[in-house]
Amino acid sequence: MNRWLDRGITLLLLALLGWAGWSILHWLLVGADWSVVTTNLPLYAVGSFPADQRWRPLLWMAALITLTLLTLTGPKRGWVRRWLPLVWIAMAPLGLWLLAGGLGLLPVGTRSWGGLTLTLLLTGGSGALALPLGILLALGRRSELPVLRWSSAAYIELMRAVPLIAVLFFGQLLIPLFLPPGLEINRVLRAVVAFALFAAAYIAEDVRGGLQAIPPTQREAAAVLGLSPRQVLQLVVLPQALRVALPSLTNQAVGLLQNTSLMAILGLVELLGISRSLLANPAFIGRYLEVYLWLAAVYWLACSAMALLARHLEVQLDPARSAS
Amino acid sequence: MRQRRLLVQVGVAALLIGLLALLVNNLAVNLIRTGLGLGFGWLGRPAGFALAETALPYAPSDSYLWALTIGWLNSLKVIAAGLVLATGLGVAAGAARSSNNRLLRSLAAGYVALIRQVPLLLQLLFWYFVAFLGLPSVPIGGLIRLSNQGIQLLGLNLSVEFCAVLVGLTVFTGASIAEIVRGGINAVPRGQWEAFRSLGLGEGLGLRRIVLPQALPAILPALTSQYLNLAKNSTLAIAVGYADLYAVSDTTITQTGRAIEGFLLLLLSFLLLNLLISGGMAAFNRAVLGRLNRSR
Amino acid sequence: MFRSSSRVLIVALAGLSSFLASCASLDSAAGSRLDLVKARGELLCGVSGKIPGFSFLSPDGRYTGLDVDICRAMAAAFVSDAEKVQYRPLTAPERFTALRSGEIDLLSRNTTHTLSRDAVGGNGLRFGPVVFHDGQGLMVNAASGVRSLADLSGKAICVGSGTTTEQNLNDAFASKGLPYTPIKYQDLNQVVGGYLQGRCAAMTSDRSQLAAARSGFSDPQAHQILYDRISKEPLAPAVVGGDQPMGDAMTWVINALIEAEERGITQANVDAVVKQAAADPSQTALRRFLGVDPGLGRKLGLADDFVVQVIRSTGNYGEIYNRHLGPDSAVAIPRGANRLAGEGGLMISPPFT
Repeated sequence: MNRWLDRGITLLLLALLGWAGWSILHWLLVGADWSVVTTNLPLYAVGSFPADQRWRPLLWMAALITLTLLTLTGPKRGWVRRWLPLVWIAMAPLGLWLLAGGLGLLPVGTRSWGGLTLTLLLTGGSGALALPLGILLALGRRSELPVLRWSSAAYIELMRAVPLIAVLFFGQLLIPLFLPPGLEINRVLRAVVAFALFAAAYIAEDVRGGLQAIPPTQREAAAVLGLSPRQVLQLVVLPQALRVALPSLTNQAVGLLQNTSLMAILGLVELLGISRSLLANPAFIGRYLEVYLWLAAVYWLACSAMALLARHLEVQLDPARSAS
Repeated sequence: MRQRRLLVQVGVAALLIGLLALLVNNLAVNLIRTGLGLGFGWLGRPAGFALAETALPYAPSDSYLWALTIGWLNSLKVIAAGLVLATGLGVAAGAARSSNNRLLRSLAAGYVALIRQVPLLLQLLFWYFVAFLGLPSVPIGGLIRLSNQGIQLLGLNLSVEFCAVLVGLTVFTGASIAEIVRGGINAVPRGQWEAFRSLGLGEGLGLRRIVLPQALPAILPALTSQYLNLAKNSTLAIAVGYADLYAVSDTTITQTGRAIEGFLLLLLSFLLLNLLISGGMAAFNRAVLGRLNRSR
Repeated sequence: MFRSSSRVLIVALAGLSSFLASCASLDSAAGSRLDLVKARGELLCGVSGKIPGFSFLSPDGRYTGLDVDICRAMAAAFVSDAEKVQYRPLTAPERFTALRSGEIDLLSRNTTHTLSRDAVGGNGLRFGPVVFHDGQGLMVNAASGVRSLADLSGKAICVGSGTTTEQNLNDAFASKGLPYTPIKYQDLNQVVGGYLQGRCAAMTSDRSQLAAARSGFSDPQAHQILYDRISKEPLAPAVVGGDQPMGDAMTWVINALIEAEERGITQANVDAVVKQAAADPSQTALRRFLGVDPGLGRKLGLADDFVVQVIRSTGNYGEIYNRHLGPDSAVAIPRGANRLAGEGGLMISPPFT
C-alpha cells in the first residue's frame, strides 16, 4: 500500500514538474522580452561608470572570474599554487586602483560605481574590515579583564539583535552626525562601515566558537616551550581557531554578498538598486519579471562560486577534517 | 601583578569612555547645528498617516506611539506565523533528504541549493510582484478564495502583502532549517535507522518517534539562531508594502526627522523580541533535554 | 601579553581622540556653500534617478531629465562647466538629511515647496523658484467607472511612502470623511507595478509622474488621470537654509532660464545675441542681463556672464522643458501652468537689474 502511494506521489510530482518546466521554458525563450537585460548589460555590470573608462571595472571583474576558475580547477604546477593566495590578496588593491583611479588613471568618484562591481566591492571591503574587528571582539569577549569582556559582549549581543536594514539605514543617517562638522564620508564608505560593524559581531561569535574548540593543552604546551602569550595567540591558537571556524566564516561571506542587496532599499545603485533605476525608464516599465530572474541568476552564480571557493579553501587548509 | 592588571583595566575603561565622550560631543554639536534635538515628546502627536493593515483599531489621528505599536503587532503577526510554517517546511525538507524516494531527495536538495544562494530581498520582490500580484481571482471551495487583492482563508482575510512576506520568509528560512535538520538527522547513529526498520516500523513513524527526538539536541541551538534571523529578516517587509514596525518607523522618521529616537525604539523592540525567542527556545531546550535524560 | 601591544593601542587611541577633538567645535569655519562648490570645482547634486522625464538613468549610464538639466545649469553658473556635476540618487526619506548634513550641495529632486520644509522649525531649507507647477492626482483604469475621489471610498490606493503624497492623500480623504486603504511602496516603479497588476483601484502621485508612467504603459489610453486635484505641488530645487549666497545664486540661475525664454534667447542663438548686444550700446537691459555690461553676476558671487554660460549649456527654460517633457519626448506633459506668464502660465522672472 505504502509503495503504491509512494509511486503515485512520485508520478504526480513528475507530472507537475514537467508541466511547470515546459511553461517556464516556453516563457523564457518565447514570451519574455529580454531587451531590458540585453540593452542594459553595461549598467548591470558597472553602473554609471564613465563609458570610456568602463574597461577598468570590466577588467577587474574578468580578472576575478579567471582567478576563480583557475582556483577551482586546481592548478597542477607547484609554483602556481604558491602564488595563487598572493594574487587573490592583490585583487583588492588592484580593484581599488582600477575603480578609484589616480596614479595614471582618471579619478572616478564612488557615486559612479554601481552594478555588480559595487556589489563585489561592498562585499570585499566590508569583509576585509569585519574580519580583524571580529577577531578582536572574540578575543575581547574571552579576555580575563571584566571591562573588555563586558563591552565586547554588549556590542556583540546588541549587533546580533538588530536587523541589518536598521543598521544600514541608521548608518547612512547617523554616521554623519557622529563625525565632526566638515568631515564627510561618502555613502559607499558609510555602507561599508555599517556592514563591517554588523558582520563583525557574527564573525566574533564564529571565531569564539573556534577558540573554544582549541583544547587548553595547546596553550599550556606552547607556554612550556617558552612562547610569550602574544606569540601563543598569534602562532598557535588563532590559526587553529580560524581553521575550525572556517566553514561558518565562509557562510558569513556568502551572506554578506547577499546582504549587499539591502542597500537597494536605501538608494545605493548596486546590482539590485540599479535594476530599480532601470525599471523607471519608460521603455522598461513593467518588465520586472525578466529583471528579477536575471538578477536571481547572477546572484546564484556569484554565491555558488563563492561557496565553491570556500569549500576549496576548507579542503586545502584542513584536508583531514573536511574529508569527514 | 594584580596592580598592573587593575591599572590596565582602568586605562582601557578610561579610553573607551573617552572615545564615547568624543563621539557624544560630536553628536551634540551636530544636533545643535542642524537643529535636531533629542526627546520623546513627539510620540504623542497625531501620526497623520493611514496604515493598510491594523490588528487593532487605528486612525490617522492617533498618536505616533500607537502607529508604532500597530506596526509592532503586524511584525509579530508575520513572525509568529513564519516561525511555525518555516519550521514545518524545514523539517519536512530536511527529513526528505533521508527519504528512500530519490525524486523527493533531489527535490529537497534542489530546493535548498537554489533558495540559499539568492538574496531574500530579491525573493520577496519576486513573491510579491510576480506571484501574488499575478494571482487570478479564483475561489477554491467555499472556504478559500484567491485574488490579487487578498486571500480569504477559512474566514481570515489575509492581505497580499502579508502573504508575500510570509511565504518569502517561510521558503527562505525553511531552506536553512532544512540544512540544520539534515545535519541533526545525520548525527543520529545509523544503528537507530536499521533498528526500527528491522522492527518493521514505517519510515514516517520511525522518523517522527525515533530519529527526530534524538536529533533535537543537535538541532535546537542552530534552530534558535534561524528563528532570530527570521524575526530580523521580517523587516524587509518594507520593500513590498507591508506595514511592519520598521516600515512605520521609516514613515515616522521621515515625517518627524527623529532618526536617533526612532533607532533607539527599534533597537529596544528587537532586543525584546530577541529575549522572547531566545528565552522560549531555552525553556524548550531544557524541557526536551530533561525528557531525554529521564528516558535514558 | 599587554606590554607592547597595549602601548601601541593606547598611543593609537590617543592619536585618534586628539584628532577628533581638534575637529569638533561649534566655531568651525562656516563659509557659504557656494565658495565650497567653487573651490571644489564640482557640484554635488541630489536627484532621484527613478522618475522618467525628470531624472533617470539612461542605458549609457548618464542621468537625464528636467531636474538633471537644472543641476547642469547650476554647474554652468557656479563652476563654468555644466558637466562638472556628481549626481547622487536619493530616496525620499533621506533627501533632506543629505542636504542638511552637507552630503549634497543642491537638491533637484521633484521636491514640493511646503511651509514645513521651509521653516526653521521644520526642515529649514531654502527653495528656489518653482521649476514645475504640478499637482497630485489619481490615475484609474478607464474601464473601472471611477470618476472622482468619492468613488474610491474604502478602496485600496497605491502610494509611494515618505513623501507629501502620503499626507495629501490622507488629508483629501479625511476632509471628505471617507475611508481608504493605502498600499505603500518604496518608489514609483513599484507603485506602478502594484497598480498595473490590479492590487489597487487607483494610484496616486504628482500628475507629471502619472503622465510619465502612463506614457510607458502598453495601452496608455486604458488609463485615466482624474480631474480631482488633491494638492498643489510646486516643484523647486532647494539648498540648505541660512546660506544666503548659495540660495540667491540658485534663485537667479532659475530666473535667468525664465528670463531668457521671455527674451527669446536660445541655446542656438545666444552667442549671436551676445555679439549683437556687445555691438549695440543702447541695449542696456540686455547687456546687463548677458553680462556684457558687467556688475550683476559678481553681486551674486558668480561670473558676470553666468547667464550666457547657462544658456549655452542647457538652453532656456522652454528648451529644457521641451527636451524632456515636450510633445516629442518620451514623457509628454502639456505645459499648462508651466508656460510663461505672458502666455497664460505662471512662469515669470523678476527683473535683472
